[in-house]
Order: sequence, then structure tokens, then C-alpha cells
Amino acid sequence: MIELAKVWKQFDGKRQVTALEDVNLAIERGEMVSIVGPSGSGKSTLLNLIGGLDRPSSGEIRIDSRALGGLADDELTRVRREKIGFVFQFFNLLPTLSCLENVALPLHLQGWPRKKAEARSRELLELVQLGARLEHLPEELSGGERQRVAIARALALDPPILLADEPTGNLDTANGQEILRLVHDLHRRLQATILVVTHDATVAESCPRTIALRDGRVVGDHRR
Amino acid sequence: MILLRLISWPYTRKHLLRSLLTAAGIMLGVAVFVGMHTANQSVLFAFHRTVNRIAGSTELQVAATEIGFPEEVLEIVQAAPEVRVAVPVIEAVADSGRQGQGNLLILGVDMTGDRSLRDYDFESADESIVDDPLVFLAQPDSIIVTGEFAGRNGLRLNSRLPLLTMEGEKQFTVRGIMRSGGLTSAFGGNLAIMDIYAAQKVFGRGRMFDRIDLAVRDGVSLEQCQAALRKLLGPGYQVETPASRGQQFESILRVYAFAIRINSLFALFIGMFIIYNSFAIAVTERRPEIGILRALGATRGQIRTLFLGESAILGLLGSAAGLALGNLIARGIAGQIAGMLDAMYGLAERAQEVATDPRLAAAALAVGVVTSMIAALIPARNAARVDPVRALQKGKYQVLSAGENRARRLAALALGVVSASLLLWNRNAWMFYGGYILLVASAVLLTPALAVWLSRCLRPVLRRLLPVEGALAADSLIQAPRRTSATVAALMLSLAMVVGLGGVARASVGSLHEWIDTHLNPDLFVTAAENLNDRSFRFPADMAGELQRVTGIAEIQMVRTARVPFRRTPVLIVSTDIQVLERRVRARVIAGDETEMHRLAALGEGLIVSENLASLHNLRLGESVEIAAPAGLLRLPIVGVTRDYSDQQGAILMDRAVYVRYWKDPTVNVFRVYLEPGASPEQVKRMILERFAGHRRLFVLSNLELRAYVMRIADQWFALSYVQIAVALLIAVLGIVNTLTVSITDRRRELGVLQAVGGLRRQIRGTVWMEALAIGLLGLILGLALGAVNLLYVLEVGRHEGGLILDYQYPYAMALLLLPAILGAALLAALAPAESAVRGSLVEALEYE
Repeated sequence: MIELAKVWKQFDGKRQVTALEDVNLAIERGEMVSIVGPSGSGKSTLLNLIGGLDRPSSGEIRIDSRALGGLADDELTRVRREKIGFVFQFFNLLPTLSCLENVALPLHLQGWPRKKAEARSRELLELVQLGARLEHLPEELSGGERQRVAIARALALDPPILLADEPTGNLDTANGQEILRLVHDLHRRLQATILVVTHDATVAESCPRTIALRDGRVVGDHRR
Repeated sequence: MILLRLISWPYTRKHLLRSLLTAAGIMLGVAVFVGMHTANQSVLFAFHRTVNRIAGSTELQVAATEIGFPEEVLEIVQAAPEVRVAVPVIEAVADSGRQGQGNLLILGVDMTGDRSLRDYDFESADESIVDDPLVFLAQPDSIIVTGEFAGRNGLRLNSRLPLLTMEGEKQFTVRGIMRSGGLTSAFGGNLAIMDIYAAQKVFGRGRMFDRIDLAVRDGVSLEQCQAALRKLLGPGYQVETPASRGQQFESILRVYAFAIRINSLFALFIGMFIIYNSFAIAVTERRPEIGILRALGATRGQIRTLFLGESAILGLLGSAAGLALGNLIARGIAGQIAGMLDAMYGLAERAQEVATDPRLAAAALAVGVVTSMIAALIPARNAARVDPVRALQKGKYQVLSAGENRARRLAALALGVVSASLLLWNRNAWMFYGGYILLVASAVLLTPALAVWLSRCLRPVLRRLLPVEGALAADSLIQAPRRTSATVAALMLSLAMVVGLGGVARASVGSLHEWIDTHLNPDLFVTAAENLNDRSFRFPADMAGELQRVTGIAEIQMVRTARVPFRRTPVLIVSTDIQVLERRVRARVIAGDETEMHRLAALGEGLIVSENLASLHNLRLGESVEIAAPAGLLRLPIVGVTRDYSDQQGAILMDRAVYVRYWKDPTVNVFRVYLEPGASPEQVKRMILERFAGHRRLFVLSNLELRAYVMRIADQWFALSYVQIAVALLIAVLGIVNTLTVSITDRRRELGVLQAVGGLRRQIRGTVWMEALAIGLLGLILGLALGAVNLLYVLEVGRHEGGLILDYQYPYAMALLLLPAILGAALLAALAPAESAVRGSLVEALEYE
């Protein structure tokens, strides 16, 4: 499902910084993988590259056997929209939109008719147990509830891949566990390929496979 | 559309005031565009309507410019086989003598034939007089007025109406009141009819008519009749349709219309900058939102369309408001335009109805929307290019990268070189205006780099004033040049325009004073009308003898001015006794020998032309020019070129004898009076008024009064400079408010840290104020510098379009005035943002990153 071959990522500034160095990975369809490593190890960079938010300095990334490298920006965006759902540490919900509207956003971008988009959004919010909070604004929700809305949004177009960057990083223990349970539940039900970047050992150990990064290199790949 | 509702509307609603200010940018531009064009069109429309209404069923008009022609010409025209009916007309404007009623357009007609061309629909009339034209003729004090004028002034049949004629005040009797409609709507209803021979006396026409109105015989085409009459009368006569008079009027307005166009375009351009600035700020503030949209799968096209859609809607709202405001402006300035035309050209018109042409309104809406979208193009493109990864990381605004800055500087340099080349090799209008546009583009591209450099220079100064606040303010400008450069650029361009116009005003005033000192040096001016450019009233030449007998007068110079067509442009002929002129006036000679030119002109062997005429028509010394006159074609060489501001279209000076010979017109507009040494101007003025009181209409102006009159007219033109200053101040306020808002958003963490380590609120405010002052100062320095170059271009435009030849004089006094004005505006603009900087949660600010 996801293949990385000899991927490098360097950032040019006053000094050149190598965020990823010669990364080779293969992740099968339906796998749930945690990516761990200390701060600055390249975890988020790896996720951004897989999600098409950024491009590698060299090497190749394939999603469903399709190389992302040669794609124009619009094409890459469409791949991201249709194949990948993103969940961020800081939720990144639009504060002026209700839960229903936040979840429907990718559908509107895809051109879905309004009624159909709303129906799908309702369905997803029910899935994450927020059916009673459709018209609430993000500021009226707890951290855990906001993250659930973000997860629902990520699933809007039924992507085969879900990328979660520190999904519990901004939550207390109880909420964090709740989100983790939800992610696992979704994994079981939807059979999506899920990558979770985390500092949290509990989160990491709950995943069948853990990839460890240090200083931009893959230093471990452990299957349970 | 759904994204506009979900994404754009919440942002707009949250920043309603700023959105309104943004729309105000377009509103201002559209309002100036609509207002000035509508006012101009309204005056033109009023003039056309007056011409058409008065024309009635007239098909052709015979005239010999505004000078008129002898009565005998009428018989020649009436005898032409192509003519069915031909009637003489005198048309002139007189003061109605009624408080607040303005001028009265008086038509002198011959009732025996005039009613076959014009419909006099009487509301009430003394039938015995009006119905019988011979009786009307026998009652030379008869006058017919419109129902509107009668109603406004409480006039009835047989009411008395005093008019100041060439023979003093005379009482006229209202013999007829016309019903509303048709003829009566000419000149806004201030129309009166009198017998033509009475009109000759009233206006001092002697035995001259102004024109002949005629209808063509059945079976003869208009063109046939026109051709026949032109052949019959010769080149000194114009045989035109009534509509062509409007075209001549339009050509007179050409320079003014050009100024209107420039101002309108400038206002729209500034509006664009305000829109650009606001959207650039919006993109900055909404970067996280854009990042989220991009992360969720919004394409660049969708982001770009979103922002362009917002700009189109704002543009539409701004344009609609601009239309309404423009109409109000038009009402205010239509009267001013009409007044200026009256003062400058003696063309009185009443523009009472001011209505925007639907086509102009549609054009204004389109222009407003398109301008708004063009202004938002770059911010929209930048929004589309937002890097979602960096956007989702809260942090500093993207600074101008070294590579990008270099590219801009190189482009600016290249454009500057091309612009300078085009100016040097200036062959035609395209090269000139192309070079001008490139200069502006070069200056705009260089602004970020110059702003950074100047900020570095200002840093020690600001630091000296307030160590922490000043340093932070300068650093804010240095680190984020793109944030401030749009505002600085808008201010720079606006102030450059102020300097340009100010320089023209300064040079004009200086040149005018010099011209007045040399040309307008008589002690007194005896004129037939209060307005020197009004030639409706004329003196008989023999009045000079009577004037000469007044004690204290040493010499009198008779002057007759008249506007005649010269190469399709109406120019001013100034005819006078050249020998007297030579004795009394020291003209600034541009080409030719002063003694020789006067000698030849006095002999009737040459003409002296004004510098602006020579420039506008590419005339050279020695070149022969032709002027069509009733007595034939006047062909004489140019024997001298002088600096002369008598007329914007240009002036031709000739000896009086030549003028009388060719135009058969012995009348005089102005007597220039030189006093004996020691004679008191006030005393002589009093004596002249006493001598002629009651039996002569005349006005006496002292040299000082005339000087003031000329400068007043000039001031009306230079009022544009003050409008420009107001626009510059508005830009300063709007632009700086917007820029500071972004700055505070970007620096929230920095300001939070400042507070956390003990910075007082007044110190936080201080850094914002210092930043505002620095932005104002940057704009001022760059604007005054660019203004020095812009002045060159503005002078050249004045020369090209208006024949105005002025020396380069930088307006230092105005520049000094701008310093407190702009810095004051900057401080005012900083008030609200400074308050916002000290409000808000400190914890949030520190957690921001």
C-alpha cells in the first residue's frame, strides 16, 4: 500500500538540515503501524511526505503502486484528498464551522451536493459518538471530542490510509485512551491502513508494528 | 459558492470593519471616477440641451466664430436658393440681476421670421405685441421670459425686469411668458427672448449678428446647402449643424477631461492598492486555515478561486456604494465645473440635472469588480501557494528570501533602465507613457529592498528615541519587509503624485506671477463684463476717446480678444495696438527678436504666438499660419514666440488693424489703462465710474484685483493638489491600520514575551506607535524622492496635453507640510492596533508557537 525507497528529505536554510536519511519502508494494506522516535527524529516529516503534504529531496514514495514523485500539485492534492485522511495533534478544526460543517469540508471540496455531504457527515459523527453535537462549534467541545470530530473528518471520503500525527499528544490520559480505542475500533471495522506518530509508549505498543526513527534514519522495525 | 459561505463569510463577519475599509478602497476609486465623469457629462449634456432646444427646427447655422459678422451677410444667405428661411440671432449671457438666480441667456431674434424655426408656446402674452412682430420690434423694451424664471422671480405680464446693458441699466417689460417645455428648458430655464436690434444695443454688437439660423429648402439635402453656403461665404464663415457646437465645447473641455481621467485612474489605482494590502493581510491571517484546506484536499485552484470570489464580491459592494457616492460628488462639483468654465472661457451653463448615464454606471461596476479582482490576484496566488506544512506550524510570516529579493531588485533595475531610455528617446506618446508606467513598476518592485535599507538606517534613530520600543519597531520592519512594503508603496506613489501636482502648482504660480508682472501691468482695466473671459458685452471703439479725457490717464490700449478655430482647435486671438504694447510690456521672448517682432506685427506683416500654441501645434518661427476670417484667409508668418498664459489652448497676438480688416469687428473687450506718474488708481477708477455711470455698462479693475482674479482661476485647477493630499492621508491611515494589524498578529508571541518580562502596556503601545511612525516616514522619504522624478513626467504631460510649459520647481514648502501631516496620520492609524496589542490573553500569546 505504502512504499518508500531511498527517501531523503533535506531542508535548506542557513544550514542544511537532513530530516530523513535513506528511508526504505513498505507498509501493507490494512496494517496499523506506530512510528516512534525522539524529538527531531523525522517522524512528522515522514508522515508529511507519505501524506503528500511535502515532497522528498530524493527517493521515491508510492501509494497504491502510484509514484507521488512525478505528480503535479493538483494531482497530488487529489491523491491526498481521496486516499489519505489526516489527523493532527492540534485537531486543526476550523473554529467558525460547526462539527457537521467541519466534517463535510472534504466532501464540499470534492464537489459533493450539499445534502449528500451533510448526510455523510451525520453518519460519520454518529460513528465517533458525536451525533448529539452536530451544530456545536469546536470551542464548545472538549479536547477528546474535538479529536473525534477531526477523525470523522479524516474519514469523510473513506480513505484507505489514515495518518495520525500525535493524535493523543494534546489530550489527557482518559481522553487519549478513548481516542486510541476509537482508532483501533475504526481499524477493525474499516480495515484502513493506519500510521500513528507518537511519543506515547502505550500508543506505540498497542499497534501490531512499530517503526523507530532516530536522527532521520529507521533504526528499528518491530512486529508483534 | 459553498466555500464562500463556509470559509469567507465567517472571516468577513469577524473582521467587518476591515472588510468595509477594504471595500471603501474601491468605493473611493469608483466614486471619483463616476462623480467626475458624471459632473463633466452633466455640464456637457446641459450645454448640448441648451444648443438643441434653442436651435428648434434649425438645420444649419452660419457663424463667423464668436466674433459675429455684419448684418449684410444675412441678405446674402437669405438669397441663396438652397435656403428656405434664414433668421439672425444674437445669443449672449447676462446677469439676471436677481439675487441667487445666476445668469440669464438672452436670445436676440427677429420675430418676423424666427417663429418659423422656434416654437414660442406662450402661457400668457400681450397678444397685441407678441403676435405682431412689427409691433414687437417697435417696443424695444419687450422681453419674453420662461414660466420657470417668471415663477421664481414673481414676474407677471408687464412686470419690469432691469438688465445692465452697454448703455447702463435699462428696464425691460415682460410681454410674454413661455410655457414649460422645449425651448424653455434651455439654460436651466433662465432664458429670455428680446428683439435682435434691442439685443445689439444691449450687448454692444453695433451692426453685427452672432449667427444666422436657417432651414433648408425642400428637395435640397443638408450637405448640398452646406456646401453651397460655404462656397458663397468663403472660409471665414462656419456653416454647421447645431450639434457641432457641442463638439467645439467638448474640445475646449479636453484638457479638463484629461485631468479628470488622470485623477479617476489614480483614485482607482490607489483603491487597488488598498484591496491588495487587505487581501495580502487576509492571506497571512488565514494561513492556518488555508493550510487545513490544503491538507484536506483543496487544490490551489480552489484556494485561488475562493479569494478571487471574495474580492469580486467586495468589489461589487464597493462599486455599488461608489456609484451612490459618485452621484453625490457629481452634484457637488457640477456647479464648480460650470463655474470654472465660465471663469476661464466665459461659457456659462447651468448643470442642474445631474444623472449618471446607465452605461457609465455599468462601466463603473465592471471597472470596480475587475479592479478588485486584479488587485487580489497576487494575494490569491500567494494563498494558493501556501505551504500546508509550514502553515500548520504556527510561527513567523515567510520573509522575503534572499533569492526572491534579488530577482525583484534585478527586475526593478531592468525596468528602470528601460524607463529612462524611453524618456530619453521620447518620440511619441506611447514611448512616453510606457516609460512612465515602467518607472512606477520599477519603484514598486524596489520598495521592499529600499524599505529594509531605510529601516536599517532608521534603527539607530528610533533606538535613540525609545531604546526598546524603537529597536523592536525597526526590527519588525527589517524582518518582514513584505508586510509593510505594500503600504509603503501605496504611500510612496500617492505622495509622489502630490509632489508632482505641487511642483506644477508652484511653477505655475511663479510663472503666472511673472507673466502678470510683465503682461498684465496696466494700472487699471476697463471691461464690459465682470468676468474677463465673458465677451458677450463689447465696447464701441470710440469710447477710447471719452476715456482718454479722464484726468490722470496717460495712455489707453484697446484690446479685443476672441476665440477662433485654428487647425480645428479654438484658440484666442488677442488684437491690440502693437506699438503701445511694445512701449509698455516686456514679454518673455522664447523665439525671435523682441524689437523686430513688434515692428513686423505692428505693420501687419506678422503674428506673435504664445509658447503653448507653438508647442501644441509644432509651430516654428518664420512658419506661415492661416486663419480663416470673414474677409478672407489671413496668412502671415510667425515673427515671435512669447510666454503667454492668456489661454490654455494658445493665443495669437496681432495688430488691431489686421483684426478689424479681416473680421470687420471694431468693438473692444478691454481698455488697458496706464496712468500718469503720481495719479492714484483708486481716484481715477472712481472718476471713470462717475463719468460713465448710468449710460455705460463697465467695470473697472485695479491691477491688484485682476491679479487676484487670475490667481483665483489658477487656484481652482490646483484644488486638485489638495484632493490628492487628502487621498494620501487616507491611504496612510488605511494602509497603516491594516499593516499594523498583521504585524501584531505575527508578533503576538514577541509582544507576549515583552509583557512577561515586565514590559508595561504603554511600552507595548509605544512599539506599535514607533512602527507606525517608521512606516509613515518610509513612505514619506520614498514618496518625496520619487516625486522629484514624477514631477518631470507631470510637467511633460502638462506640456504634451495642455501646452503648459513650466520650469522645474520642487515644492519644498509642500513637502515640509506633508511631514507632520503624514506622521500625524500614522499615529492616528496606530491607535486601535496599539490597543489591540495590549489586550488578549498573555498565556495564549506565549503558547502561540
